[in-house]
Amino acid sequence: MTRRLKATAQLVALASVAGLLALLVWSVVHQQHAPGVGSMAPAFTLRRLEGTGSVSLASYRGKPVVLNFWASWCEPCKTEAAVLERDWTSYRSRGVVFLGVDYHDLGSDARRFVSAHALTFPMLEDGSGNVTSRYGISQVPETYVLNRQGRVVAHLRGPITDPGFAGEFRDAIVKAAA
Amino acid sequence: MLRFAAVVAVALAFAGPAAACAHPRTSLNYLQGQVMCPTCHTTLDMSDSQAAQQIKGFIAKRVAECWTAKQIESALVANYGQGILAAPSHKGFDLLAWWLPIAGVLVGALLLAFGVWHWSRRREPEEPDEPPASGLDEETERRLDDLLTRFD
Repeated sequence: MTRRLKATAQLVALASVAGLLALLVWSVVHQQHAPGVGSMAPAFTLRRLEGTGSVSLASYRGKPVVLNFWASWCEPCKTEAAVLERDWTSYRSRGVVFLGVDYHDLGSDARRFVSAHALTFPMLEDGSGNVTSRYGISQVPETYVLNRQGRVVAHLRGPITDPGFAGEFRDAIVKAAA
Repeated sequence: MLRFAAVVAVALAFAGPAAACAHPRTSLNYLQGQVMCPTCHTTLDMSDSQAAQQIKGFIAKRVAECWTAKQIESALVANYGQGILAAPSHKGFDLLAWWLPIAGVLVGALLLAFGVWHWSRRREPEEPDEPPASGLDEETERRLDDLLTRFD
Protein backbone atom coordinates (compact mmCIF):
# COMPACT_ATOMS: atom_id res chain seq x y z
CA MET A 1 0.00 0.00 0.00
CA THR A 2 2.78 2.39 1.12
CA ARG A 3 4.89 1.50 -1.90
CA ARG A 4 1.99 2.14 -4.24
CA LEU A 5 1.32 5.50 -2.60
CA LYS A 6 4.96 6.47 -2.87
CA ALA A 7 4.98 5.55 -6.56
CA THR A 8 1.82 7.60 -7.16
CA ALA A 9 3.30 10.62 -5.38
CA GLN A 10 6.47 10.33 -7.47
CA LEU A 11 4.39 10.07 -10.63
CA VAL A 12 2.40 13.19 -9.68
CA ALA A 13 5.60 15.11 -8.92
CA LEU A 14 7.13 14.03 -12.25
CA ALA A 15 3.96 14.99 -14.13
CA SER A 16 3.99 18.43 -12.47
CA VAL A 17 7.61 19.04 -13.43
CA ALA A 18 6.91 17.84 -16.99
CA GLY A 19 3.89 20.16 -17.18
CA LEU A 20 5.92 23.17 -16.05
CA LEU A 21 8.65 22.32 -18.55
CA ALA A 22 6.09 22.03 -21.35
CA LEU A 23 4.68 25.44 -20.37
CA LEU A 24 8.16 26.96 -20.48
CA VAL A 25 8.87 25.47 -23.93
CA TRP A 26 5.48 26.64 -25.21
CA SER A 27 6.07 30.21 -24.04
CA VAL A 28 9.55 30.28 -25.60
CA VAL A 29 8.27 28.89 -28.91
CA HIS A 30 5.32 31.29 -29.00
CA GLN A 31 7.34 34.38 -28.16
CA GLN A 32 6.59 37.18 -30.59
CA HIS A 33 9.42 38.20 -32.86
CA ALA A 34 9.53 41.09 -35.27
CA PRO A 35 9.02 39.83 -38.84
CA GLY A 36 12.33 40.10 -40.64
CA VAL A 37 12.99 41.77 -43.96
CA GLY A 38 11.62 39.58 -46.76
CA SER A 39 9.08 37.79 -44.58
CA MET A 40 5.32 38.24 -44.80
CA ALA A 41 3.88 40.94 -42.56
CA PRO A 42 1.43 39.45 -40.02
CA ALA A 43 -2.17 39.86 -41.18
CA PHE A 44 -4.53 41.89 -39.03
CA THR A 45 -7.88 43.62 -38.90
CA LEU A 46 -8.18 46.63 -36.61
CA ARG A 47 -10.89 49.13 -35.77
CA ARG A 48 -10.56 52.62 -37.10
CA LEU A 49 -9.53 55.15 -34.46
CA GLU A 50 -11.99 57.66 -35.85
CA GLY A 51 -15.38 56.83 -37.28
CA THR A 52 -16.66 53.31 -37.49
CA GLY A 53 -15.62 50.09 -39.16
CA SER A 54 -12.37 48.26 -39.37
CA VAL A 55 -9.48 47.94 -41.77
CA SER A 56 -7.62 44.80 -42.73
CA LEU A 57 -4.07 44.79 -44.00
CA ALA A 58 -5.03 42.24 -46.67
CA SER A 59 -7.29 44.81 -48.33
CA TYR A 60 -4.17 46.76 -49.35
CA ARG A 61 -2.49 43.82 -51.10
CA GLY A 62 -1.07 45.08 -54.38
CA LYS A 63 -0.06 48.43 -52.87
CA PRO A 64 3.06 49.43 -50.95
CA VAL A 65 2.17 50.06 -47.30
CA VAL A 66 3.86 52.18 -44.66
CA LEU A 67 2.82 50.88 -41.26
CA ASN A 68 3.60 53.32 -38.48
CA PHE A 69 3.16 52.32 -34.81
CA TRP A 70 2.67 55.22 -32.43
CA ALA A 71 0.98 56.40 -29.22
CA SER A 72 -0.18 59.79 -27.99
CA TRP A 73 2.05 59.56 -24.88
CA CYS A 74 5.14 59.02 -27.02
CA GLU A 75 7.26 62.18 -27.30
CA PRO A 76 9.22 61.29 -30.49
CA CYS A 77 5.90 60.47 -32.18
CA LYS A 78 4.99 64.15 -31.97
CA THR A 79 7.96 65.30 -34.03
CA GLU A 80 7.55 62.39 -36.41
CA ALA A 81 3.85 63.07 -37.05
CA ALA A 82 4.37 66.15 -39.23
CA VAL A 83 6.98 64.37 -41.37
CA LEU A 84 4.74 61.35 -41.84
CA GLU A 85 1.84 63.55 -42.92
CA ARG A 86 4.08 65.39 -45.38
CA ASP A 87 5.40 62.12 -46.83
CA TRP A 88 1.87 60.70 -47.02
CA THR A 89 0.65 63.64 -49.06
CA SER A 90 3.60 63.37 -51.41
CA TYR A 91 3.51 59.55 -51.87
CA ARG A 92 -0.24 58.88 -51.90
CA SER A 93 -0.50 59.91 -55.55
CA ARG A 94 1.97 57.12 -56.34
CA GLY A 95 -0.31 54.55 -54.74
CA VAL A 96 1.57 54.26 -51.44
CA VAL A 97 -0.71 53.61 -48.46
CA PHE A 98 0.11 54.96 -45.00
CA LEU A 99 -1.50 53.32 -41.95
CA GLY A 100 -1.06 54.48 -38.40
CA VAL A 101 -1.48 51.95 -35.59
CA ASP A 102 -2.07 53.51 -32.19
CA TYR A 103 -1.19 51.11 -29.40
CA HIS A 104 -1.56 50.95 -25.61
CA ASP A 105 -3.30 54.29 -25.67
CA LEU A 106 -6.48 55.99 -24.54
CA GLY A 107 -8.78 56.47 -27.52
CA SER A 108 -9.68 60.03 -26.50
CA ASP A 109 -6.03 61.09 -26.18
CA ALA A 110 -5.17 59.40 -29.47
CA ARG A 111 -7.97 61.22 -31.32
CA ARG A 112 -6.79 64.50 -29.81
CA PHE A 113 -3.26 63.71 -31.03
CA VAL A 114 -4.50 63.03 -34.58
CA SER A 115 -6.47 66.24 -34.60
CA ALA A 116 -3.65 68.34 -33.08
CA HIS A 117 -1.19 67.14 -35.71
CA ALA A 118 -3.73 67.29 -38.55
CA LEU A 119 -3.01 63.71 -39.60
CA THR A 120 -5.12 62.58 -42.54
CA PHE A 121 -3.94 59.03 -43.27
CA PRO A 122 -6.02 56.14 -41.85
CA MET A 123 -5.52 55.54 -38.14
CA LEU A 124 -6.26 52.20 -36.45
CA GLU A 125 -6.45 51.37 -32.78
CA ASP A 126 -4.71 48.50 -31.08
CA GLY A 127 -5.39 49.30 -27.45
CA SER A 128 -4.65 45.78 -26.23
CA GLY A 129 -1.43 45.68 -28.24
CA ASN A 130 -2.25 42.24 -29.73
CA VAL A 131 -1.31 43.21 -33.28
CA THR A 132 1.59 45.37 -32.17
CA SER A 133 3.14 42.49 -30.25
CA ARG A 134 2.97 40.32 -33.38
CA TYR A 135 5.14 42.92 -35.05
CA GLY A 136 7.62 42.71 -32.17
CA ILE A 137 7.21 46.37 -31.31
CA SER A 138 9.14 47.19 -28.15
CA GLN A 139 9.01 50.96 -28.27
CA VAL A 140 7.24 53.56 -30.34
CA PRO A 141 7.52 54.94 -32.89
CA GLU A 142 8.45 52.07 -35.15
CA THR A 143 7.72 51.84 -38.86
CA TYR A 144 7.45 48.97 -41.31
CA VAL A 145 7.51 49.39 -45.06
CA LEU A 146 5.76 46.56 -46.93
CA ASN A 147 5.90 45.83 -50.63
CA ARG A 148 2.95 45.06 -52.90
CA GLN A 149 3.04 41.39 -51.91
CA GLY A 150 2.83 42.24 -48.22
CA ARG A 151 6.46 41.39 -47.50
CA VAL A 152 8.63 43.48 -45.19
CA VAL A 153 11.04 45.75 -47.05
CA ALA A 154 12.26 47.70 -44.03
CA HIS A 155 11.71 47.93 -40.29
CA LEU A 156 12.77 51.20 -38.68
CA ARG A 157 13.02 51.01 -34.89
CA GLY A 158 12.74 54.69 -34.07
CA PRO A 159 11.35 57.91 -35.52
CA ILE A 160 11.76 58.34 -39.25
CA THR A 161 12.96 61.86 -38.42
CA ASP A 162 16.10 60.26 -37.05
CA PRO A 163 18.96 61.32 -39.38
CA GLY A 164 19.97 57.69 -39.78
CA PHE A 165 16.49 56.63 -40.87
CA ALA A 166 15.31 59.44 -43.16
CA GLY A 167 17.21 58.15 -46.22
CA GLU A 168 16.47 54.51 -45.40
CA PHE A 169 12.75 55.25 -45.12
CA ARG A 170 12.50 56.88 -48.52
CA ASP A 171 14.66 54.24 -50.18
CA ALA A 172 12.41 51.56 -48.69
CA ILE A 173 9.30 53.23 -50.09
CA VAL A 174 10.87 53.42 -53.54
CA LYS A 175 11.89 49.74 -53.29
CA ALA A 176 8.42 48.72 -52.05
CA ALA A 177 6.72 50.59 -54.89
CA ALA A 178 8.98 49.11 -57.59
CA MET B 1 -29.00 92.36 -10.04
CA LEU B 2 -26.76 91.62 -13.01
CA ARG B 3 -23.72 91.63 -10.73
CA PHE B 4 -25.45 89.18 -8.37
CA ALA B 5 -26.28 86.85 -11.24
CA ALA B 6 -22.65 86.94 -12.41
CA VAL B 7 -21.39 86.15 -8.92
CA VAL B 8 -23.83 83.23 -8.63
CA ALA B 9 -22.78 81.94 -12.05
CA VAL B 10 -19.06 82.08 -11.16
CA ALA B 11 -19.73 80.46 -7.78
CA LEU B 12 -21.68 77.66 -9.46
CA ALA B 13 -18.96 77.18 -12.02
CA PHE B 14 -16.35 76.69 -9.30
CA ALA B 15 -18.60 74.78 -6.95
CA GLY B 16 -19.87 72.49 -9.70
CA PRO B 17 -16.96 70.05 -10.00
CA ALA B 18 -16.43 69.98 -6.23
CA ALA B 19 -20.10 69.33 -5.57
CA ALA B 20 -20.06 66.63 -8.24
CA CYS B 21 -17.78 64.55 -6.06
CA ALA B 22 -17.65 65.54 -2.45
CA HIS B 23 -16.92 61.94 -1.45
CA PRO B 24 -14.77 60.09 -3.99
CA ARG B 25 -15.78 56.46 -4.30
CA THR B 26 -12.27 55.18 -4.91
CA SER B 27 -8.73 56.52 -5.00
CA LEU B 28 -5.81 56.74 -7.36
CA ASN B 29 -3.67 54.98 -4.75
CA TYR B 30 -5.98 51.97 -4.66
CA LEU B 31 -6.32 51.69 -8.44
CA GLN B 32 -2.59 52.07 -9.05
CA GLY B 33 -2.19 48.66 -7.49
CA GLN B 34 -5.03 47.14 -9.53
CA VAL B 35 -4.09 48.40 -12.97
CA MET B 36 -1.11 47.40 -15.08
CA CYS B 37 1.19 49.62 -17.06
CA PRO B 38 0.73 48.15 -20.57
CA THR B 39 4.24 48.86 -21.78
CA CYS B 40 6.25 47.86 -18.70
CA HIS B 41 4.11 44.95 -17.39
CA THR B 42 4.15 46.09 -13.78
CA THR B 43 1.36 47.70 -11.79
CA LEU B 44 1.01 51.46 -12.19
CA ASP B 45 2.44 52.19 -8.75
CA MET B 46 5.69 50.52 -9.84
CA SER B 47 6.02 52.47 -13.06
CA ASP B 48 6.70 56.02 -14.08
CA SER B 49 6.67 55.45 -17.84
CA GLN B 50 4.81 57.80 -20.15
CA ALA B 51 2.07 55.24 -20.77
CA ALA B 52 1.66 54.75 -17.01
CA GLN B 53 1.51 58.48 -16.42
CA GLN B 54 -1.22 58.80 -19.03
CA ILE B 55 -3.33 56.15 -17.31
CA LYS B 56 -2.70 57.67 -13.87
CA GLY B 57 -3.95 61.00 -15.23
CA PHE B 58 -7.05 59.30 -16.62
CA ILE B 59 -7.76 57.58 -13.29
CA ALA B 60 -7.21 60.77 -11.26
CA LYS B 61 -9.66 62.61 -13.49
CA ARG B 62 -12.33 59.90 -13.19
CA VAL B 63 -11.86 59.66 -9.41
CA ALA B 64 -12.47 63.42 -9.23
CA GLU B 65 -15.65 62.86 -11.25
CA CYS B 66 -16.83 60.35 -8.64
CA TRP B 67 -16.52 57.26 -10.80
CA THR B 68 -16.37 53.97 -8.94
CA ALA B 69 -13.35 51.67 -9.17
CA LYS B 70 -15.43 49.25 -11.25
CA GLN B 71 -16.46 51.97 -13.71
CA ILE B 72 -12.87 53.12 -14.14
CA GLU B 73 -11.64 49.56 -14.58
CA SER B 74 -14.36 48.90 -17.18
CA ALA B 75 -13.36 52.00 -19.12
CA LEU B 76 -9.73 50.91 -19.08
CA VAL B 77 -10.62 47.36 -20.16
CA ALA B 78 -12.64 48.81 -23.06
CA ASN B 79 -9.53 50.69 -24.16
CA TYR B 80 -6.71 48.27 -23.43
CA GLY B 81 -8.37 44.87 -23.07
CA GLN B 82 -8.55 42.57 -20.04
CA GLY B 83 -4.76 42.54 -19.71
CA ILE B 84 -4.80 46.03 -18.20
CA LEU B 85 -6.10 44.59 -14.92
CA ALA B 86 -3.57 43.17 -12.49
CA ALA B 87 -6.01 40.51 -11.27
CA PRO B 88 -7.73 38.12 -13.69
CA SER B 89 -11.51 38.31 -14.02
CA HIS B 90 -13.83 35.99 -12.10
CA LYS B 91 -15.29 34.26 -15.14
CA GLY B 92 -14.44 31.79 -17.86
CA PHE B 93 -10.89 30.49 -18.20
CA ASP B 94 -9.61 33.22 -15.85
CA LEU B 95 -11.36 31.44 -12.99
CA LEU B 96 -8.55 28.88 -13.11
CA ALA B 97 -6.13 31.55 -11.91
CA TRP B 98 -8.24 31.95 -8.76
CA TRP B 99 -9.07 28.31 -8.08
CA LEU B 100 -5.80 26.56 -8.98
CA PRO B 101 -3.81 28.08 -6.08
CA ILE B 102 -6.61 27.21 -3.64
CA ALA B 103 -6.78 23.67 -5.03
CA GLY B 104 -2.97 23.45 -4.79
CA VAL B 105 -2.99 24.53 -1.15
CA LEU B 106 -5.79 22.07 -0.32
CA VAL B 107 -4.05 19.16 -2.05
CA GLY B 108 -0.79 20.11 -0.33
CA ALA B 109 -2.49 20.24 3.07
CA LEU B 110 -4.13 16.86 2.46
CA LEU B 111 -0.83 15.29 1.42
CA LEU B 112 0.89 16.79 4.46
CA ALA B 113 -1.85 15.57 6.80
CA PHE B 114 -1.69 12.09 5.29
CA GLY B 115 2.12 12.07 5.57
CA VAL B 116 2.03 13.10 9.25
CA TRP B 117 -0.65 10.52 10.02
CA HIS B 118 1.29 7.80 8.22
CA TRP B 119 4.58 8.72 9.90
CA SER B 120 3.07 8.86 13.39
CA ARG B 121 1.42 5.46 12.89
CA ARG B 122 4.73 3.87 11.97
CA ARG B 123 6.47 5.27 15.04
CA GLU B 124 3.79 4.14 17.57
CA PRO B 125 4.96 1.11 19.62
CA GLU B 126 2.86 -1.84 18.76
CA GLU B 127 0.97 -3.03 21.81
CA PRO B 128 -0.41 -6.48 21.40
CA ASP B 129 -3.99 -6.92 22.61
CA GLU B 130 -3.25 -10.39 24.04
CA PRO B 131 0.02 -11.89 25.26
CA PRO B 132 1.51 -14.05 22.58
CA ALA B 133 0.79 -17.72 22.87
CA SER B 134 3.70 -19.74 24.29
CA GLY B 135 2.98 -22.77 22.18
CA LEU B 136 3.08 -25.11 25.25
CA ASP B 137 0.27 -27.38 26.29
CA GLU B 138 -1.67 -26.68 29.49
CA GLU B 139 0.07 -29.33 31.61
CA THR B 140 3.58 -28.11 30.74
CA GLU B 141 2.56 -24.55 31.34
CA ARG B 142 1.19 -25.38 34.78
CA ARG B 143 4.40 -27.17 35.71
CA LEU B 144 6.49 -24.31 34.43
CA ASP B 145 4.45 -21.87 36.53
CA ASP B 146 4.97 -24.08 39.61
CA LEU B 147 8.71 -24.14 39.02
CA LEU B 148 8.87 -20.39 38.56
CA THR B 149 6.93 -19.73 41.76
CA ARG B 150 9.55 -21.64 43.68
CA PHE B 151 12.17 -19.13 42.58
CA ASP B 152 10.03 -16.12 43.62
